[in-house]
This record gives sequence, C-alpha cells and structure tokens, in this order.
Amino acid sequence: MQDWISMPLVGFPLVASIVLLAFVSNADASMRKRLSDPIRMATLVFSLVLLAITTGMFFQYFGDVSWEGISFNSYEYTHRYNWIESLGIHWTVGLDALSFPMVWLTTFLLPVTIIATWNEKNGAVYFPIILAMGGALIGVFVALDLFMFYVFWELTLIPMFFLILKWGGKDRKYASQKFFIYTFTASVVMLLGLITLYFFQDPVNPLQYAGSMTGRTFDIPTITQHALNENSNGNWYLGANIQKVLFAMLMLGFLVKLPAVPFHTWLPDAHVQAPTGGSMLLAGVMLKMGAYGMFRLPVSLFPHALQYFQLALMAIGMVSLVWGAVVCLGQTNLKKMVAYSSVSHMGVILIGIATMQPMGWAAALFMMFAHGIISPMLFAVCGAFKHHYHSMEIGAMRGMAKHSPWLATSMMFAWMASLGLPLLAGFVAELMMLIALWYFLAAEGWSVFWMVGPALVLAITAGYYLWSMQRTIFEGGDETQPPESLHGEPVPDIANPEKLAMLILAFFTIVFGVMPWIALDMMHDWTVQIFEGLIMPILGEFSGGA
Amino acid sequence: MSNITTVEAFGDGFISALFPELMLFAGLLLLIIVPNLGKGTFRIPGTQIRLPWLLGGTRFKFTSDPRLPAWIASVTLGGAFLNVIYVFSQGLERVVIVSESGKELLLVNGFSRVFEMIFFGALALAAFSSMNRLQVKGIGSRVSEHELYNNRRQADFYILMVTCALGMSVVALAQDLFVLFIGLELASFSTYVLVAFLKESKVGVESGMKYFIVGSVASGVGLYGLSMLYLWAGSLQFSVLSAAFAESGTTALPLIGIGFVLVGFGFKVSAAPFHFAAPDAYAGAISPVAGVLATASKAMGMLGLVRMLLIVAAPESSEGSAVWLACLGAMAAITMTWGNLAALGSDNPKRMLAYSSVAHAGYMLAALTAVGAWNWDATISGDAGAAAVAVMTALLFHLVVLVAFKLGAFLVLSVLESEGGASRLSSLGGLAKREPLLAVAMFIFMISLAGVPPMAGFLSKLLVIMGIVRIAVGDMGAEIADGGVFVLADMHWVWWLAFLMVINSAISVFYYLRVVVVMFFDEPEEGREGPLPSGWQVRLAILACVLTTVFVGLAGDSLIRICEMAAQSLNYGW
Repeated sequence: MQDWISMPLVGFPLVASIVLLAFVSNADASMRKRLSDPIRMATLVFSLVLLAITTGMFFQYFGDVSWEGISFNSYEYTHRYNWIESLGIHWTVGLDALSFPMVWLTTFLLPVTIIATWNEKNGAVYFPIILAMGGALIGVFVALDLFMFYVFWELTLIPMFFLILKWGGKDRKYASQKFFIYTFTASVVMLLGLITLYFFQDPVNPLQYAGSMTGRTFDIPTITQHALNENSNGNWYLGANIQKVLFAMLMLGFLVKLPAVPFHTWLPDAHVQAPTGGSMLLAGVMLKMGAYGMFRLPVSLFPHALQYFQLALMAIGMVSLVWGAVVCLGQTNLKKMVAYSSVSHMGVILIGIATMQPMGWAAALFMMFAHGIISPMLFAVCGAFKHHYHSMEIGAMRGMAKHSPWLATSMMFAWMASLGLPLLAGFVAELMMLIALWYFLAAEGWSVFWMVGPALVLAITAGYYLWSMQRTIFEGGDETQPPESLHGEPVPDIANPEKLAMLILAFFTIVFGVMPWIALDMMHDWTVQIFEGLIMPILGEFSGGA
Repeated sequence: MSNITTVEAFGDGFISALFPELMLFAGLLLLIIVPNLGKGTFRIPGTQIRLPWLLGGTRFKFTSDPRLPAWIASVTLGGAFLNVIYVFSQGLERVVIVSESGKELLLVNGFSRVFEMIFFGALALAAFSSMNRLQVKGIGSRVSEHELYNNRRQADFYILMVTCALGMSVVALAQDLFVLFIGLELASFSTYVLVAFLKESKVGVESGMKYFIVGSVASGVGLYGLSMLYLWAGSLQFSVLSAAFAESGTTALPLIGIGFVLVGFGFKVSAAPFHFAAPDAYAGAISPVAGVLATASKAMGMLGLVRMLLIVAAPESSEGSAVWLACLGAMAAITMTWGNLAALGSDNPKRMLAYSSVAHAGYMLAALTAVGAWNWDATISGDAGAAAVAVMTALLFHLVVLVAFKLGAFLVLSVLESEGGASRLSSLGGLAKREPLLAVAMFIFMISLAGVPPMAGFLSKLLVIMGIVRIAVGDMGAEIADGGVFVLADMHWVWWLAFLMVINSAISVFYYLRVVVVMFFDEPEEGREGPLPSGWQVRLAILACVLTTVFVGLAGDSLIRICEMAAQSLNYGW
C-alpha cells in the first residue's frame, strides 16, 4: 500500500502556492498580467493532480483500502513524523470514512473553483491563494494531531482573509476583519479547551507518542482510544463536570465555524463581500470544518456530554434551521439569501448530530457532502450574476431566461437542488434527517408535532427559492428589462469556463442524488461503528437499553 | 548537570567564561579609539621631531567613514551573539565568578546564556539596521562642521548600543544585588540617551525626558527596596537572601522591600500601572531603539523579576504558593487587558506596538504567576518541579522569539520612518503596492504577534498557556484515572489567567489586522507613492527576523530544548 500518498495532499498545494507567490511577488503590474495565464494553468493542473490522487484513493488504486469497512478510530494512509518532540506533537495524517469524503470534496472543488472564476482579476496572485486555501483545508481534514489540526484550522483563515480583502465587494474591509476576528475568537477558546484536555490526560501510564517535556500527547487516535476505553466502561471520561466544560469549550469553536445561530453573523457579511471563488470554498468546505470538528473531537471524546447537551444542541439546530429560512424570506440581495440558506442547512447538520441516531449522523455527514457540492454552485451562480449584471439585487434583472438562458438554467438547477428536489443530492440528506428526527422523537416519547417545524422550514425554503427565481428568471414576459446597472449594454450570458463549472457541479449533484450510496455507504458504516462502540453503552446507561 | 566551577575574577577560566562580555568591552574600546585615528603627531618637547601617534589630526579616509562605528558595533554584537550560540552548541558549563573574599558576583549558566542571546541578538539587529538611519553624506576631509558633528554622533549612538548590551548582560549574570543594580543602571542610562537621541525633534526630547524621569523614579524606588532587603538580611548576595527568605520571608520588611523592587522592574517590563512612559518613549525614539526597548530591555526587566521572585522570594517546595502570587496575578490580568484595550484606540503604529508590548508583558507576568503557584496543593499539583520548568521554558521561549517579530515590526516601521515619519497608521498605506515583500514581512510579524499559527508567536503563546494550564491542572488526570472526581473549580485559579490570555489574544487580533488591512487595502499617503528608501542592511535584518519567525514557528523543538535546559539551570530545587 502506498501510504506516502497522503503526504503530498497537504504539503504539495501549500508549497506550490508559496513558490508561485514568491515568484510573482516582485513582478511589476505588466509582468503579473503576462504571468497570470501560465499560473492559472499551473494551479489548475496542480489541483487536478490532487483530485486524481483522492479519486485514485477511492478506487483503491493506491492500495487495498475498503472505505466501507473502516472501524471507528482506525485510519488509512497514516503517517507519523516527529514534529515538536518535547511537547508530544507529531505530523500525523490519516484518513477515515469521516474525513475522506471531505478531502475528496476539497480536491474536487479546487479545480471547479478555478474554472468557475477563470477570469478573476490579478490572477497571478489569486489562483495561488486559492491553491493555498485548498492545502490548508485538506490539512484540517487529514490532521490526526490536535496541534496540527489547530494549526491548519487557523491557517485557513489567512488565505480566506486575503481573498475577501483583495477581491471582495464594497465593504470587504469590514467583512474580512469581522470574519477573521469572529472565528479566531471562537477558536482560541477552543484552543484553551484542547490544552486543558491535553493536560487532563493521565501521564502515569506510558502514553504513546507523549512529549518528553510534558508526558502527554496531542495524538488524536491515542486520546480517542483512551476516551473510548473509559467511556465504554460506562464512566465519564475525565469525570462529568470536566467533560461538560471541555465539551462546551470545544463546541464553541465548532458552532461558530459551522455557523449556528446565534454565532452566525459573520457568515452573511463574509459571503456577500467575498469573491465568487472565496464564497465557493467558504460555503463548500470551510463551514464543514465545524461539523467535521464536532464529529472528530467532542462527539467522539465526550459522548456523555453530548447526551447531556443533546436538547440544547437540538434547540440550536432548530433555531438555526428556522431562523436562517425565515431571514431568507426577507432578503433582497441574492448572495445574502444564499448565505442565510447555508445557515439553515447547517442547522440540518446540527439537528442530525443532536438526534444521536446513526441515521441522523449519516444524514449530517451526507449533508456536509451534498451541501459541499450544491452551495458552490449556488455561489457560482451568484458570482456569475454579479459579474454579468453588476448587481446582486433580486429583481434588478427580470426575464433572465430570455437573455441569459445558460445562467437561468444553472440558477434554476442550483436553486432546486438546494431546496431539496428528489433525485438531487440535497434531498437524500434532508429526508434522512427527517427520519432520524422521527426516531429521536419516538425514542424520547415526544409528540410528533415537533416534526412540523422542520417540515414547515422545507416549505419556507421552497418559498424563498421559488420567489427569487420567479422574480429574476421568469417575470417580465416579452417586455423584459435588462438591469439598469448595465446602462443599456447588451445582456451577456455566462462565459464558457463558467458553463463548464456549472455543468460539472450539476452533474455531480445528480450523481450523488441518484446514487447516494457511493458516499453514503462509507458514512453510514462509520456512524454505525461509532454508534455501537460509543453511544450504545451510554444510552443503555441512561434509558435502560436502546 | 555539570558541576559548578568557581573562578576568581581575572583568574583561570575567567576569559573563557565571560568571553562575550569581554568581546563587547573590546568593541567598546575600538568604538572609542578607531574613529579618532588620524594623522596626529606628537612633538617631543624642545625638539622639532614629530612622532606620529595616530590620535586626532586629520582623520584617515577609512576612520572618518560615518558607517565605521556602525560596522564595529554590529560586528561586535553579532560576534558576541554567535559566541553565545557556539557555547550552546558546545554544551553548557556553570561558572561562578567570585570576588577575593569569596562573594559570588556573576554566575554563567544556561539561564544567563539565553538572556545574553536575547540581548546580543536584539542589539546586533538594531545596530545593523540603524546603519541606514543615521547616514550622513560627505566622507573624507571635505566634510562640513555639521556633517562632522553628525559623524561624531554616529560613534555616540553605537557606543551607547554596546554599553546597553554590556549592562544588560551584567544583569543576566549578576548574583549580587549590587552588581545587578550596576548593570541595570548602565543599561538604563544608555537607553535613556538612545531614546532622546533625535534631539532635533521635539517629540524625541520630550519622550526622552519622560522616560528618564519616570525611569529614574522607578529605579530609585527599586533601589530603596534593595536597601530594605539589605537592612533586613545584612547581605546583598542572592544565595544569602534566598536562604533568609525561606526562613522568615513573610515579615513586613522583606515583603515591602520586594514590593518596591517589583515597582522598579515593573517599569522595565512596562507592566501596568507602571507602563505610562512606555508608549511615549517608543513613539519618540527611532524605531530600532524602540524595538530594543520592547525586546531586550523588556527581557532584562523580566530577568530581574525572575531573579527577585523566583530565586530570592521563591516558595519552598513545602510551603505551597508564593506570597506574591495574588499581587502578581492581578498585575498580569490588569496589564494584559489594559495594554490590549489601549492598543485598540491608538492610531500611531509605534504606540500601538508599545501597548501590544504592554499586553505581552501581561502574558509573561501570567506565566510568572503560574510558576509562583507551582506547588499549590500537595495532592494534585503533581510533578510540580517539572511544571515550573515548563512555564519558565515558555517564558524564555517567548522572550527569545519576541526579538524576531517585535523588533522586526519596528524595523519595518524604521524603513518608513527614514522616509518621513511612521506616526500615523496611514503611513503604512499601500505598502503592499510599494514594496510587497516588506508588506508580507509586516504581515507575518503582525499575525505572529497576534498568535496565529504557524508563526513563532503562536508557539510561544501556546507554550505559555500550556505551562499555566499544566500548573492549574496538575496531576488531576492521574487522579481521575484512579477514580478521583473533580470539578472545574478544583483547578488552581491561574487557569483563569490562561482564559484571560486567550480572550486578550482575540481582542489583539483586531488592531494587528488593522495594520494588515491598511497595508494591503489603502492607498499610499500623498507624496509617498514612490519606492521606499533603499538600504540593504535593514532589509537583511528584517529578512532574518522573518526567517526566524517562520522557522521557529514550524520547527521550534531545538529552541524549546535550549530554553528548557536554561530553565532547569535556574533553580536546582525544582
């Protein structure tokens, strides 16, 4: 088995982008313009190489890895090097059924983003930054060391900050700083939680991979194994009080990143001001870091605390779901509406986690994946809209179907996918979440009327999407008016690279809608594994058998 | 652990132990003599014979070069720095220098070597990069009076730099309050003059005066405290004092004495509420000097605090927390919060960096507080000695890497300053367009100051937080594994200092990012659109700072080990 293959996934894009940026940093403006084309081509090729690696991993080209059989807390393609030995920090990478879909998604979105924003200005700098963003995101997902995880977690902020600051909209200065400070604040609290967790390890047992100075380790598999041993004996790992506090501290970081109401206010600002490419990666992958982190750390380590906070998380998820959808109804800005719809969909993920059902967790995992394909398409449409009509206002452009059939079709497709049309990827996740919620209500003995909330939200979602479509695509009939912001110029349709990107995204939305098992099987296996190992003993303890 | 070697002053082994300091001394002599070499002659009285004796007269072309003092100082300081690094690579020795009557004067060990590394490194960078700052035109015989005067000032500036380094290293070595105070004042007086060196500008003189007056009051108070300690213990020796303190340290006289000493050193580290002169001093001094104040001078103050609090007034392993714990904890909390809040409101980048340095002083004081709590509860404080060493390691590591990114930030400002002022945030405007690499360097320094990975500033902050949390948590993990039950309140309260630290880091991101936004977003100020003033020395120094910041952030293990070794050599009781 070629284990080394997981190494270039992180290192290669980061190193390549730094080399490219160093290369252009001293070039003057005209030189940069000339360099733009080859650099764009180079980043596209690099990202395609990454995609080829992850796709090869899926098709077991790099060794006999069965993604469906990976048990909880075992990893494939693992590599461990000493990094900072005195503190027990290792460069540890590895993939399991939780992280692999996310890694594939990241490598898939990189070339698509590059294609969709083919003509972005100052490309000689823009495309390497996109590549760096991809490297940092992959790093978050493959890291199996708390320190490394945190380093990449924060590293993602830097390219995104610059993407918003240099290529963003009118209020980009405000939005980029808000984005950085908001998420940084949450993650330093998370960091303190991680360090406190680190020192709560028992140093007496000869710990594997422990630091020479501290006697504790940052190694996630080791910590998870200790927690698993303790938790599955029916004890609370680290004791009830400590576990609750640490759970809350870690969750804060992840909830802000997700984001869940009331920590979501950075997202609309960041999205509206971010350039198309930034939005695509932000919504497509960066938000999923929150959900991924929840599964990787608090859920895996502190299942008792999860049980304890279950209803609170459920409430936050419900509020996010409903609040995001209701706010969408009031938006006049297309991109802001899409951003709030993301908040709503992230609520679905949180509800899925809070159900504590294998089905719900699989729904959450699949929602992470499906939303990762659909939301970039939403933002690609918004970006194209902005690019071609110089406006984001719903209603500024009417009768788009007549003037720009390609854009209109893409928009319609993306909107339908996002509101959960059957046979498209989003539907699978939403349906599973509803079933899991049903299980949850039945297990808790609650009234089924609680189902009305999420069901109603689906209707609201359909409402705002259909309404915005009607106002932009169809309204106006034959006497359509091109938007005033075009100043009477002819109405353009989207360019060829954008068409290609839309086609790719639409294709995979259909593929994963019709054949969800491609990704869903491994996710489901993983959730069943973690559930049987981790949650069943707890549920038994709480409610006398499950 | 190597055995301690006792060496009498100027005895065998004296030169090898104090080689870096002697290098500085030789450099100082060179700085005084070499720029004065000329064609001066000496007439033997009563004859017409003139003997060339080379001092004075028309100076040689070589010796009248205004860059010469800068080169001598840089080479001296850089050589001393390299020598310390070499000593580290050779393995450390402990040498104590005693007087004829057997009093311990200076102690050379890993701890003092790390501080020498900080001082020499910071001053070498500052001296090297000031070469572009004080340049004067006209070399050789055709210099006007004004220019000649300026050339003389070149020598003054660098003499002060070297004496500053010499004083600081004496503080690092001192084992006696008297020697400590001598070193402290030598360094302080050099910095007072360096701050006021731009005497043509109003702000330079004003800030120099303020710094001098507040500084001498603080020194006076500290000296009064030292004299009280002498009155109480009858000796100025650290070893005697610490033994006396262990016996009867909680009586009023030594406590008041320690309190006064705290004021003196609190001023040096610019801890609130003794920090008021710092922003003025930083804003008025030229940037490399401000950088020295924020790094080397601060490290010296921290060194003094460590000596006084952890050697003289250290809690014995049997008696729990130190007496000064609550006082220092409150000071740390106030300092870091005050510094950050004040930095939020300052538009002058140098004042902003000054307040950020106040905030960093707060973080370091928090670490020092944690050391004071190292054996707070016999049942759960665990392997407290190792924990204390871990916090000290973090503190030393932070002081070392601070030189890279704090001084680096000041050096970037110094490039702007030589173009005409860096007193407004908008002076940084459009730096990304004017010189992208400089803007990238400043960006790296800023996020490193804020503690964003993967920069050195993150690793140092992480180490400090880890040290504090380790002390606060103690051995609870093992106790839990044995079936113990704990709640959050069982942790020592210094954990909340770590909490305050992460909240403060989050606040600090705001003003660090503002600098980045201005550099990458705003247009240059009017009349400053063109390229920046050239000068390879300052850029080379900035490059060194960038490389250190990034490299230590990515692979800091060896530096951590050096700092750990140094921390272990501080107190063998741990």
